[in-house]
Amino acid sequence: METNPEGKRSLLGWLEARVNLTEIVSFLSVFGLLPAELDSRKPLREALREAMSQPLPSYARWPRVLGILSFLLFLFLVATGTMLAFYYQPTAEQAYPSVTLIARDVAFGTLIHQVHYWSAVLFLLFLGMRVVRFFFQGLYARGREIVWMVAVLTFVTAAIADLTGRLLPYDASGYWTTVRAREVTDALPVLGPITSFLVGGSGLDSTVLTRYYVLHIAIFPILLLVLFYFHFSSVRRVGMSRLDTAPAHRSLRVAMYDLLLLVIFMVGGLMTLAVLFPQPFDAMADPFQTPPDARPPWYLLAPLVLMEALSFLPKFLRGLIPEAILAAVIFLPFLDRESGSGARRRLFRNLGIALLVIWGVLSWIGWFLEVRR
Amino acid sequence: MKDKEGTDLERRGVLIWLSRGFLALWAPAAAGVATSFLKAPSSEHRPGERAIRAGALSSLPVGDARFVHHGNDPVFVVRVSEAQVLAVSAICTHMHCVLKWDRDTSPFQCPCHDGSFDRKGNVLSGPPKKPLPQYPADVRADEIVVHT
Amino acid sequence: MSGARRWMIVVGFALIVVGFAGATDVALAQAPGAQSEESVPPSRVVPAGAKPAKGSAMCGVCHSDIRVKYEKGIHRSEGVPCTSCHGGNANALTVEGAHRDGFRGKPARRSIPALCASCHADVARMRFYNLPSDQYALYQLSHHGMKLAKGDESVAVCIDCHGVHEIRKPEDPKSHVFGRNIPATCGKCHGDPAFRKRHGMKEDPVKDYEEGVHGKAYLSGEDPSAPECTRCHGSHGATPPGVGDVERVCGQCHLKTRNYFIASPHKEAMDAAGQPECAACHNSHKTLALPPEKFAESCLACHDKGDKEYQVALTLSRMKNDASSEIAKAEKLVAEAAAIPLYVDDYRSRLQDARTALLEAAPVTHSLDSTLVEPHTRRARSIAARVSQEVHEKVSSRWWHKVGLGLFWFYLLLTATIITRARRRAAGRAR
Repeated sequence: METNPEGKRSLLGWLEARVNLTEIVSFLSVFGLLPAELDSRKPLREALREAMSQPLPSYARWPRVLGILSFLLFLFLVATGTMLAFYYQPTAEQAYPSVTLIARDVAFGTLIHQVHYWSAVLFLLFLGMRVVRFFFQGLYARGREIVWMVAVLTFVTAAIADLTGRLLPYDASGYWTTVRAREVTDALPVLGPITSFLVGGSGLDSTVLTRYYVLHIAIFPILLLVLFYFHFSSVRRVGMSRLDTAPAHRSLRVAMYDLLLLVIFMVGGLMTLAVLFPQPFDAMADPFQTPPDARPPWYLLAPLVLMEALSFLPKFLRGLIPEAILAAVIFLPFLDRESGSGARRRLFRNLGIALLVIWGVLSWIGWFLEVRR
Repeated sequence: MKDKEGTDLERRGVLIWLSRGFLALWAPAAAGVATSFLKAPSSEHRPGERAIRAGALSSLPVGDARFVHHGNDPVFVVRVSEAQVLAVSAICTHMHCVLKWDRDTSPFQCPCHDGSFDRKGNVLSGPPKKPLPQYPADVRADEIVVHT
Repeated sequence: MSGARRWMIVVGFALIVVGFAGATDVALAQAPGAQSEESVPPSRVVPAGAKPAKGSAMCGVCHSDIRVKYEKGIHRSEGVPCTSCHGGNANALTVEGAHRDGFRGKPARRSIPALCASCHADVARMRFYNLPSDQYALYQLSHHGMKLAKGDESVAVCIDCHGVHEIRKPEDPKSHVFGRNIPATCGKCHGDPAFRKRHGMKEDPVKDYEEGVHGKAYLSGEDPSAPECTRCHGSHGATPPGVGDVERVCGQCHLKTRNYFIASPHKEAMDAAGQPECAACHNSHKTLALPPEKFAESCLACHDKGDKEYQVALTLSRMKNDASSEIAKAEKLVAEAAAIPLYVDDYRSRLQDARTALLEAAPVTHSLDSTLVEPHTRRARSIAARVSQEVHEKVSSRWWHKVGLGLFWFYLLLTATIITRARRRAAGRAR
């Protein structure tokens, strides 16, 4: 039996002699989870120890945890979602009974389901807050364009993933939320036809439900993973944050402990939300009975209200406005080239504040107006 | 002085191992939650709970059997005599193939490994060791009812 | 080329074209020999004497107000002309000419049933319309018909219910004999206080009907199978049921109830005492269901409190009360659980079963035999009790969830403490 450098027999040493464990683990650092490179020529312990003692710029400090928190939540969503997929059946007849089975008959079913739900809520919320933070700290300046665009696209993709997930239980609120959301997406000039193509029809029967399912469990998670990879990769190239001027004083090891603490409290928070504030369940969807409070999800309320307010415009123009705003937000780094003058910076700052306020007000209006009596 | 330091170190070592052991408890806990979630809810039911209607008695000649579809556990209904009806499982006790009925040769033939059973489910030949399970069956208003 | 010659060529060319066209027409008409007699378009089959409104051609010129009504009716669309009821000549161009040839004018009220029957009692003629032809025969046996035969012209004749010129199909919601309009149609006479006084009727049957369970269910559209007037009294053969016949009339719908009632001691006793069977407890027009808590009281109308019959009533009442209060308790628990929110769909459908069992006990109660009623009320009670128990367990298990959450946080914080210590050590080492 082989011995490790200290001369003791160990399972790790035995494995080390047969596979390059360091190479396997270095996958994490290639993906970006470990912001230091592992030397794959050295044994795992040594390589890790070396990487861990590298100094690291400030990291995992509020509010800079939003990104890593979202990624952790994403991993949570994948884990709980995989578990739910063991029971879920994507047909119009079986979807609701299978979700009821999970929630009622399966051990810890309610818990897993509620954790999945709350992870999705927080995931989207944190990604949105992250975009706002990037904006106000000017983290889209030259060199960081990709970071900004990826951040916005991650939010948009997560929102669509959330949207596709809402239909899956096939309960009344999920069904009619999807119907109202399609109202918005179908009005968009370019994204609308793409959505219709992917979703494959305007009815929400089994054939369409299966497509929502595949989009929700495969296509959009993979897309999100790609976007996360782009983010980590870009951050490795241009640095964690432009604001890191303070001298590095913490090792990666300490940062990893901080990350662990973050995971612990996130798990605690999710459990608390899942147990104390479970998402209420509706009756099974009835395509012939619209509930009075059928509303699109919160992120589509503002576009819907805007389009309804602009109903005097031709249809393609109505959809064009929210889409143009989205495009402007994505391509912000190219619109707001730092020319040094403070006035221009202030203009964009004020524009951003105005957009946020309008968004908030429209969403608020939508929340109350979209209840049909 | 030196002794005290040694016991401190020892105590610290114990504490470290204790906390490591405590942290390690999370793994079986998480595994427990995951496995109990993934364990399929049992589809077992109490015997005699379900009554399967197996068709009219008058349309089943004496000595003949009828295959009755019933979910994943089909049964054969055999009319042993004028009045007596028997229900046996149609699943071979060897490798769970579905048996075939042939009135002239040995009654139940397994297409997979040539096992054969008699009318009452006893093994006649082939690899199966256990006889076919029987279900109670009776006749209500000319309709055969099997209780599974 | 001279002008004349050019013209000749043009005309000649035109002739050739026309000739060709004619030839092809003929060829086309003859070529596909399949155009045989089978493909002659079938003309609409109209029975003799029913040519659309031919016998009404000129009447409307003077009687335009009547024509407007007639145009909306079934007789117009089925082609029954004015002259078939009124006689005369519809094609005459003068008033005198029109009011000749067997002109009847306004038919006498007494003769109306016979006049309508001249077509509607004709089996051969009615077969084409797929209509029954027994209405006249029934009418003659009805109270209306018998009184008319005795010379009482205040009774209803055909036109009082069906309308005069604007006669619509019974399925037409505007028809006076459309289901939901029937109480009002009967009420034209039977709801009129002066009319009732003249005929010695004390109660207002239409108002009573509207207040009873049947009227409420039917007129609100809640239960279209609930009866209107004609379902109990008949339409053409309208007759009030006699004392001994009530159960038969009610039993048309309440089959099970009737069977239990007939077998009960009440049937003979009530007939002997001249009590109108079902109506003795449930009223006639103002039909009322007897809720379990009230029904023992209603027995006191005939029985005394000390009677053993009254004890039976108390037993029955208690069994039903217990079941219905158990169901109410379970419903309340389920509503509480639904608000938490918990899944209660299954419990709701099981409670529906319990309510059905209690409902099944209602007909059986008419047997007055508690051993027959008991299985139903027991089933209702046991389902409801089991639902209550399960919901209760589920609600209290939520309390355990919270305890579990507290425990979870305890372990979580312990873990966090251990990690914080480890972190502090690591930070110290780095320094």
